[in-house]
Amino acid sequence: MEWTQVVIIGGGATGAGILWDLSLRGISATLLEQGDIANGATGRCHGLLHSGGRYAVKDPDTARECIAENRIIKTIAPHCVEDIGGLFVQCAQDDPAFFDKWWHATGKAGIPTQRLSADEARELEPNLGSNIHGAFTCPDAHVDVFRLVIANLEAAVARGASFHTYSEVTAIHTGNGRVRSVSYRNTRSGEQEEIACDVVINAAGGWAQTVAALAGVEVPIRCDKGTLLVLNHRLSHRVINRCRKAGDADILVPAGPVCILGTSSIRVSGPDNLTASPEEIDALLHLGNQLLPGLADARVLRVFCGVRPLYVPKTAAATGGREISRGFALLDHEAHDGVGGFVSIVGGKLTTYRLMAAAVCDFVSKKLGVDVECTTDQVPLRPAASRKTLHRASQILPLPVVEKICGRLGLEADQIVTAIEARPELAEIVCECEMVTRGELEYVLGAATPVPSLTIADVGRRTRLGFGPCQGTFCGYKAMLAGFQTHRWSASQAANEFSAYLHERWKGQSLVHQGQQIEQLNLSHDLYGADLSSRAEHGE
Amino acid sequence: MESNRYDVVVVGAGLAGLTAAAAAVQQNLKAALVATGPGSFVLGPGWLTTADIARAGSAQELKEAIAFFCEKSLFAGCSLEGDLSTARPLPTLLGDFQRVALAPSSLWKAEPRPDTSSAVIGVRGLSSFDENFMAARLSECSHALGFSCAYAARQISLSRNFGVPVTTLRIATYFDRDPEFRAELMDALRSAAQGFARVLLPGMLGLHSSDHQIAQFEHDLGCSICEVPTLPPSVPGLRVFHRLESYLGKLGIELFRGYPVQSFEFHRDACTELRIASPGHSMLLRAESVVLATGRNSAELLGNDCVRLDEQMRPLTSSGALVAPNLFIAGSFLSNAETSRGDTLEILTGYRAGNLAASTRGNYAAR
Repeated sequence: MEWTQVVIIGGGATGAGILWDLSLRGISATLLEQGDIANGATGRCHGLLHSGGRYAVKDPDTARECIAENRIIKTIAPHCVEDIGGLFVQCAQDDPAFFDKWWHATGKAGIPTQRLSADEARELEPNLGSNIHGAFTCPDAHVDVFRLVIANLEAAVARGASFHTYSEVTAIHTGNGRVRSVSYRNTRSGEQEEIACDVVINAAGGWAQTVAALAGVEVPIRCDKGTLLVLNHRLSHRVINRCRKAGDADILVPAGPVCILGTSSIRVSGPDNLTASPEEIDALLHLGNQLLPGLADARVLRVFCGVRPLYVPKTAAATGGREISRGFALLDHEAHDGVGGFVSIVGGKLTTYRLMAAAVCDFVSKKLGVDVECTTDQVPLRPAASRKTLHRASQILPLPVVEKICGRLGLEADQIVTAIEARPELAEIVCECEMVTRGELEYVLGAATPVPSLTIADVGRRTRLGFGPCQGTFCGYKAMLAGFQTHRWSASQAANEFSAYLHERWKGQSLVHQGQQIEQLNLSHDLYGADLSSRAEHGE
Repeated sequence: MESNRYDVVVVGAGLAGLTAAAAAVQQNLKAALVATGPGSFVLGPGWLTTADIARAGSAQELKEAIAFFCEKSLFAGCSLEGDLSTARPLPTLLGDFQRVALAPSSLWKAEPRPDTSSAVIGVRGLSSFDENFMAARLSECSHALGFSCAYAARQISLSRNFGVPVTTLRIATYFDRDPEFRAELMDALRSAAQGFARVLLPGMLGLHSSDHQIAQFEHDLGCSICEVPTLPPSVPGLRVFHRLESYLGKLGIELFRGYPVQSFEFHRDACTELRIASPGHSMLLRAESVVLATGRNSAELLGNDCVRLDEQMRPLTSSGALVAPNLFIAGSFLSNAETSRGDTLEILTGYRAGNLAASTRGNYAAR
């Protein structure tokens, strides 16, 4: 049986951060993820790197953590961050007393802000309404969550760590009051594997309760659903927050060529099979329109839902979703539940993922007798592309593509540039919205990459292919053919992969009952037939 | 009659608009066709399905409309053929089969035939088409349908520098314009087709070529030649659009291509003038009647207050009032999200609107 010191369960930002942290401390580790990377809350959020402004009034500790982490992530992973800054807008409908409270609280938490008049704010963000009182600036930023997780995984793999996607943990074996090994099933092939270990870290987010139960431990998680809308184009330059007590649809984050509005906050029974009702979507658009007049007329590309996996200590069980602390908790199941070597890390938020990882790794290092300090706040996650690569790339590719490729891949961009120089047809831009070249597509589908793509949706998370208006109708087809051509899939596997991918994309679009995206969806139905999946199965 | 005055102005050149214009001319109306571009038909595979027949109302009228449309397409040199009551399988771009009612003959030829050996031919460098994928899938899926067809993949190389990426659109343009290119393609196909009863190509045999020209090409090749769908725009679909449009031009319909409608002017409740945005200055078209065939999500043209149609296909506002007695709607103008696009409904409503427009002659145009 394979052996490693630590098994991490969960391939979100926290799990990937832990893998990287442990690898820096020289502790061997393997990460198991039931789906693809960033499959849960990490991949289904705004992608907002909080400045802490949102928590300053209610939860000053979290606010202080956020601003500290905000600065660290911008330093160690600049290629994952679009440092656009943010505004907290004072809307006419909201309580002016809160504006002052906010101003004082951010000052206390050490969040740098500036007071803007209404005119100054509108000069920065012309789409803001005419009736605002003013705004505050803050150092909010957009973080590409997929790139962030990949960067952590790649860095860890380079230091000898390993991870398995599409690997669902089926059992945590214990003996003599300690964890001994973990069994997992490859969900694509059905194969069972087992890996022996000294420590198991449960970083499964919304699934933490289920994972803990495998070791006979109870971890109370409350799943709080948030629905988000992807709007065509960037409607603002900066992150737009509504300066009030946190509520629905009061954050708009520009992300690449689109922007994301959210969220709602609805308690649900679990993290799977989430969906949004038309009323919920209408309510979000209505509220978003108060923040940015005209927003409700924007084209909604798709709707997606995620859960905030909130940790609810038994004393706080009665409070509502937004009242529960966004802080995180480290649960030592040896002390509380008599299961040695089993730790859960729960709650928390994307912005503080590194801090959460550091806390777990400090704890685990001590358990394993490894005396190495955390250095993830110092070590850059990935070197940038060399000037030489940039220069060569700019000879053969349009500049926006160069910028995207080098941003996404750093040093690895060199491989793609070399490939395109040898085979000019690889310069074809297969996804025009996100400017993905055929070279990059073949690279992420190839066997040589540290974070391989097994499905077309995986390709999307690696490259952002299919995130734009066509929602994969055209570029997903090209990705399927590329997967066939690179021998990732046989012809029928490729067709089935595409069918599964397209259905997932259709689902996200069909929740929007109005506007141009419906036309796009109908076009997709016309092209492939709305009964695509049944025909694909039939064809097998 | 003034030069800018028409018995009917049709807005939109999708299936509905083209049919409406043709029907109006049949009624001896002086007609204009205003469109910003081809309709969404060219974004599909280039064929028509019958999924919406149940909603079409009178079977007799539908039959008549389809027969009318097929006849026009035949005269236009891009014959659409088929039978509404028996849909037959054609290959899709995923290499499986979909049941189709009407299609251009070059697509029909790809119908699975028992014991027929076919070559699926790709072009070196062509993006979004893979002959190996197609051949493997078609073999597999035709087998599942109960046909024992054999499909083999072949690739041809063409010497033209098409640039990156190579698209069927670019190849089709060469096919239209360049006899040397056609000769080269012919040679390449001839050697690839050796030993096969027919060849399947991605749709690329010209954006303007007539049925006759394709038949001639096939005859010279000496082997049955079929087109299969590609990613949009569909070359066979564009061919239908181009040929129908130019045929309508020959019938005397005035074409205003590439110009969006800016506004509708109403005079004594009737819609009597359209302002269209031609370059430099806007142009005014006077109309006895107007047929709007502008597709989904175009209700804003009329101020978003049309919720349904009366029996004569005229839009009614939310209070039930007629927008104008001489304004007719064709196609999917008022379709809601749930109903998918209906090809046969486009033709039926276009046909009906074109004929209804004739009934208003001489009543409304601003004098």
